[in-house]
Amino acid sequence: MAEVEYRKVTRRYPNGVVALTEFDLHVDDGEFVILVGPSGCGKSTALRLLAGLDKPTSGEICVGGAEVTRQGPGDRDIAMVFQNYALYPHMSVYRNLAYGLRQRKTPKPDIDRRVREIGEILGIVELLDRKPAQLSGGQRQRVAMGRALVREPQAFLLDEPLSNLDAKLRGQVRAELKRLHQRLGITSIYVTHDQVEAMTLGDRICVMNQGEVQQLGTPQDVYEHPANVFVAGFMGSPAMNLVPGTVAEGQVLLGGHTLRAAPAGHDDVVVGIRPESLRIAPQGHPGIQVTVDFHEPLGSHALVHCLVGHDSVGVVGDSAAGLVVQAGPDVSPAPGNG
Amino acid sequence: MTTSTTATAPAEPRFRFTRPSPWHLVLIPLTFILLVPLIWMVITSLETEAETRQFPPVLLPASPQWTNYPDALSAAPFLRFMLNSAVVALVVVVANLVLCSLAGYAFARLRFLGRGALFAVLMATLMVPFQVTMIPEFLIVKWVGLNVWDQLGIDHLGALIAPNLATAFGIFLLRQFFLTIPVELEEAARIDGTSRLGVLFKIVLPLSLPAMATLAALTFLDSWNSFLWPLIVINTESNMTLPLGLTTFQGSHATHWELLMAGNVFSLLPMLLVFFAAQRYFVRSVAATGLKG
Amino acid sequence: MASATPTASNAAPPARRTGLLRRFSGSEHAVGWAFVTPATVLIAVFGLLPILWSLLLSFQKSDLLTPETPFVGLDNYKQIPGDATFRLAIEHTIVYTVLFVPATMIVGLLIAAALNRKVRGISIYRTAAYVTMAVSTINEAIIFMWLFEPSFGVVNAVLNGLGLPQGQWLSSPGQALYVIVAMTVWGWTGFAVVIYLAALQGVPKELQEAAAIDGAKPFTIFRTITFPLLSPATLFLAVWLSINALQLFDEVYLTTRGGPLHSTTVVVYYLFDQAFQQFNAGYAAALAYVLFLVILVITFIQFRVGNRFVHYNR
Repeated sequence: MAEVEYRKVTRRYPNGVVALTEFDLHVDDGEFVILVGPSGCGKSTALRLLAGLDKPTSGEICVGGAEVTRQGPGDRDIAMVFQNYALYPHMSVYRNLAYGLRQRKTPKPDIDRRVREIGEILGIVELLDRKPAQLSGGQRQRVAMGRALVREPQAFLLDEPLSNLDAKLRGQVRAELKRLHQRLGITSIYVTHDQVEAMTLGDRICVMNQGEVQQLGTPQDVYEHPANVFVAGFMGSPAMNLVPGTVAEGQVLLGGHTLRAAPAGHDDVVVGIRPESLRIAPQGHPGIQVTVDFHEPLGSHALVHCLVGHDSVGVVGDSAAGLVVQAGPDVSPAPGNG
Repeated sequence: MTTSTTATAPAEPRFRFTRPSPWHLVLIPLTFILLVPLIWMVITSLETEAETRQFPPVLLPASPQWTNYPDALSAAPFLRFMLNSAVVALVVVVANLVLCSLAGYAFARLRFLGRGALFAVLMATLMVPFQVTMIPEFLIVKWVGLNVWDQLGIDHLGALIAPNLATAFGIFLLRQFFLTIPVELEEAARIDGTSRLGVLFKIVLPLSLPAMATLAALTFLDSWNSFLWPLIVINTESNMTLPLGLTTFQGSHATHWELLMAGNVFSLLPMLLVFFAAQRYFVRSVAATGLKG
Repeated sequence: MASATPTASNAAPPARRTGLLRRFSGSEHAVGWAFVTPATVLIAVFGLLPILWSLLLSFQKSDLLTPETPFVGLDNYKQIPGDATFRLAIEHTIVYTVLFVPATMIVGLLIAAALNRKVRGISIYRTAAYVTMAVSTINEAIIFMWLFEPSFGVVNAVLNGLGLPQGQWLSSPGQALYVIVAMTVWGWTGFAVVIYLAALQGVPKELQEAAAIDGAKPFTIFRTITFPLLSPATLFLAVWLSINALQLFDEVYLTTRGGPLHSTTVVVYYLFDQAFQQFNAGYAAALAYVLFLVILVITFIQFRVGNRFVHYNR
């Protein structure tokens, strides 16, 4: 186990596309860091550079204090779980797990002990003689993790490891991953585009877009204090409402309503309000008058899409209250502390 | 400091020189070795007779002897050979496309009495090598020529065409492809009142162009390069196909390497052109038969 | 129920016979047979009939010319074990097959592996490797006769330049078969490359990356991951090339006619010679059936052995 560091890492492809620009990241020993962002944001490139599957155009990468930028993937003592698992289809589960140890000339009895150990931890002992084709999706996922963990690597890289699982299994494995990390404490770097995984799994989250870091911080930090509009819009589900407002006399004008103190030195601002921070109030109560566009029932609650002027605003409503939406009744949500 | 560097960042050069991959150092010699036989053929075809009789050989002719080509063409009716090859190949390809798609469709989609047994028997013929059938085939062609139509008999182009008009391989290839086409498409057309033949021609075949191209490419290659069968049934020079004609030309000009090579280049040219034009199909069809077979 | 289909129950019995016919003519049966008949008739006449006739012929004496073909029982087959030339032909065919098949596969695999990468101009290299597919056996044979020409050929010139002994090649009983191996390997290279390259491109890149992260060196990755995953292509090539090797004819006919001193007489050349030059068609038919059986047995063994190590995805 070790700390991992990126120093001003840039990756530019021969065709001119820049996948990663001056990327800086320090991951502490035993920390679980999430790289999250939309597809093409450079998160997978960052992971592949750390694994040694790709070489940076400039910058340095360190693992455990040693520079590894020019080393091959086999020399870095790093393990990776691929999105599609990349299990060797012609080998049994046992041989899949043992492959990396064999390449490192581990003595046979040690290999056997460690394979069975990791098999116990992941509950795949009874699958050791099977071929990958005979496994279910969830089992393959476990084997893929086992193959990475069995080597007791310096760092554990995961490239969207849950994206090939169905929704129910994904929740289970996510919880299991968290437990596993708490138990083994391996430095982990996890790439995903799913902000729920990011929020639940990470010690820290690194939000990326277009090859650059947008924000780095704890999940709570990123959720409550987004550094910019991109982070605000990307993190959180349902997505944060982003409404343009104008600044006048130290206050923000928003659709004919005034909000609290505005930042100085700007004329136009974007106000971000999380849908869960808004409430639906009965007609006549103080608040903003809106027109209900449509609503999506979500079981425990409902997401109400309202129109404020020409801006669409989502509000989380209490579906238990039996919200009945007729054509265009006026609802006045009370502004929360967005 | 950071602000100043970001400000100057866009100034870096747009056009970057990317170093060529070191793999070229492997690939270029490799390709060269593979192509040496063909390159040497072309070089020799442009030498004088004296130049071909030097040791060590002349690497580049003093002046290219383009006249070797007309000389070779006048020494043997190469154009006639080529025409014969083309006629045989085209008729065989077209017939295979039509007959094999009809039969392949029936085996894929129509339930008719004896379908399974007939298909099994046809497929069984695929396993038998040509050497087993060639002697009786010769006798059959001879009999047909004497009793049915002389144009199909020994020493006629018909003898090269008739036995190859339909192949069990073609039926199998197209049937397998037809089975992958969603049957709902055909059912929709049938509900709209299209006949079986209409379904085949308007729905199935337009969707089967890759398979048809594969069959056409393989059949063409087979027919164009066929040697043993023409050798058995054709004797008259004017009815010879290219491979056979080239062989007789070789027999009578065994030591005139420059003419032989000119004739060789000339006879290789059409197939090379077809190959370059349809490389995709050749490669795909070979790869497909290999990976499925 | 009965009242629901009164017209059907009333009309059916009297119309039964004509109904059957009419039903057949418009039915899938009729359409099906109409579709398959042209191809079936052709294959029956030129494929099926010859197979059976050939079997009959192998129990007869025939010179292809006279109509009388007296029945001679098993004489043709009994003659085979004592035929010294045929035994030579088998020997040569085995030597040829054992050399040609692995050599073509190794050359094809190496070239395909070299071509399986993203390099500028790779499609040009690939086309160059495929091009031998377009070269007919006749073109190939004439070219190689010239390359291996003893007095003025390039091969001897190169050997001479390197200070190595020169050969008589196709004129030498000890060398001719190996020259034929060389020319046919070259001729089949394009085919083998296409097969192996397609298979290589079917190997998921992540598997090789996973192995690299696991610490395997490039050659180890090839040996333990890539090559095992190519096994379907390897088996196909082994079977396909063997079938073709056992049927070698064109190149032999063109270059040596089985000589010098029968040193390149292979089974199919001998068979052709017996049928169409010696006019022992009955005996040739028997030889053909023996060849057929040998091919069947070898193919069967290859599949049995092959299936033990072949990995099929899914």
